[in-house]
Amino acid sequence: MSDVDYRQGVATAPGPGTANLADILERVLDKGIVIAGDIKIDLLDIELLTIRLRLFVSSVDTARKAGIDWWETDPALSSRAAQCALREENAQLRHRVAALEAGDAESGTAAEREA
Amino acid sequence: MTGFADRGAAPDSTVTYAFAVCRGEDASGAPLPPGLSAGAPVRALRFGALTAIVQEVPAADFTEEVWRRRLSDRAEVERCARAHHAVVTAVARFRPTVPLALCTLYRDDWRAIEALGRDEARFAEVLDRVAGHVEWGVKVYVRPEEHASGPDGATGATPRPAPGAAARGSAGGPAPGAGRAYLAERRERQRSRVRRHEETLRDADVVDTTLRGLASAARRLQPQHQELTGDPRPQILNAAYLVAQERTAELSAAVTALRRRVGAHIEVTGPWVPYSFAGEV
Repeated sequence: MSDVDYRQGVATAPGPGTANLADILERVLDKGIVIAGDIKIDLLDIELLTIRLRLFVSSVDTARKAGIDWWETDPALSSRAAQCALREENAQLRHRVAALEAGDAESGTAAEREA
Repeated sequence: MTGFADRGAAPDSTVTYAFAVCRGEDASGAPLPPGLSAGAPVRALRFGALTAIVQEVPAADFTEEVWRRRLSDRAEVERCARAHHAVVTAVARFRPTVPLALCTLYRDDWRAIEALGRDEARFAEVLDRVAGHVEWGVKVYVRPEEHASGPDGATGATPRPAPGAAARGSAGGPAPGAGRAYLAERRERQRSRVRRHEETLRDADVVDTTLRGLASAARRLQPQHQELTGDPRPQILNAAYLVAQERTAELSAAVTALRRRVGAHIEVTGPWVPYSFAGEV
């Protein structure tokens, strides 16, 4: 490896310390020769799943901290969101009824066309 | 590592962790990295005509239960993966080396010699295949403009034409063709998105085909998830090429030419110990 001089022209030559974690993980977990050991640690079964899950969860946490909460307001993902949608529709209908009863149908229709 | 200790195993018992297998009678020539445990050094262990690179590690730190917990701790996973990788890389600097998968463990040295010895022919075959070669990782990312535009186009929130603007030139109401013009624009945007997508896939094929021509062997790996890479651009090609060391300059020139030829972004990593070519062909 030390006699490979590929540094000019093409990007990186990662030493052990600089290569990115995703690249290392995909090699040390998925590749390399698999020989039966004495102690059974079936990484392929447990780990990639765990890692991906973890990383996903942490990105959801990050999103929540940033105030993005799509999974809470998307009706497909949350029953609470479905209730929200119902409540909102309810409120709009009440508002519309009130407007009609006040004889102000014109503005209601205009608002609807605009919506 | 102490935080992960398992109560089940005796506190002072050790197991033999195997990192790699290489040719040669000894692995001297370079100081080896510290490995996975502070207790004992990384060392060479002869079996038959080959040498395993091993380390005694505390048994309590290497049970399935401990690893299950460890693998959900990103910092721990990173520490272990890098420690394993550092040893493999250091050994391979001076001789053809077959990396073993993370967590290949034996009850003791004798068991390691016995078990690895049974696969001596297989190791020899892989060592022949990778000798004089290195692995290069090549990734192709979606063209920037494709990624920048969401499903609705560049801004993502294209406002409907304001009534006043749409009606400019006519008297009062919306211009007659405004709706159709809007739909035509949407269609055109959709078409160009599909076009860019196809171009990107073609880029990936051109890159892969060209580099396969230079390689002794090639593998397409699973494209990496954005959560794992931290890169916002989707990856459309993640490949590994086993390239003879004397063809390194050729590979370099080919990548330079490809970068000029295709619109997609090409990332090259390496040289790697040929991890991706250690298993079955």
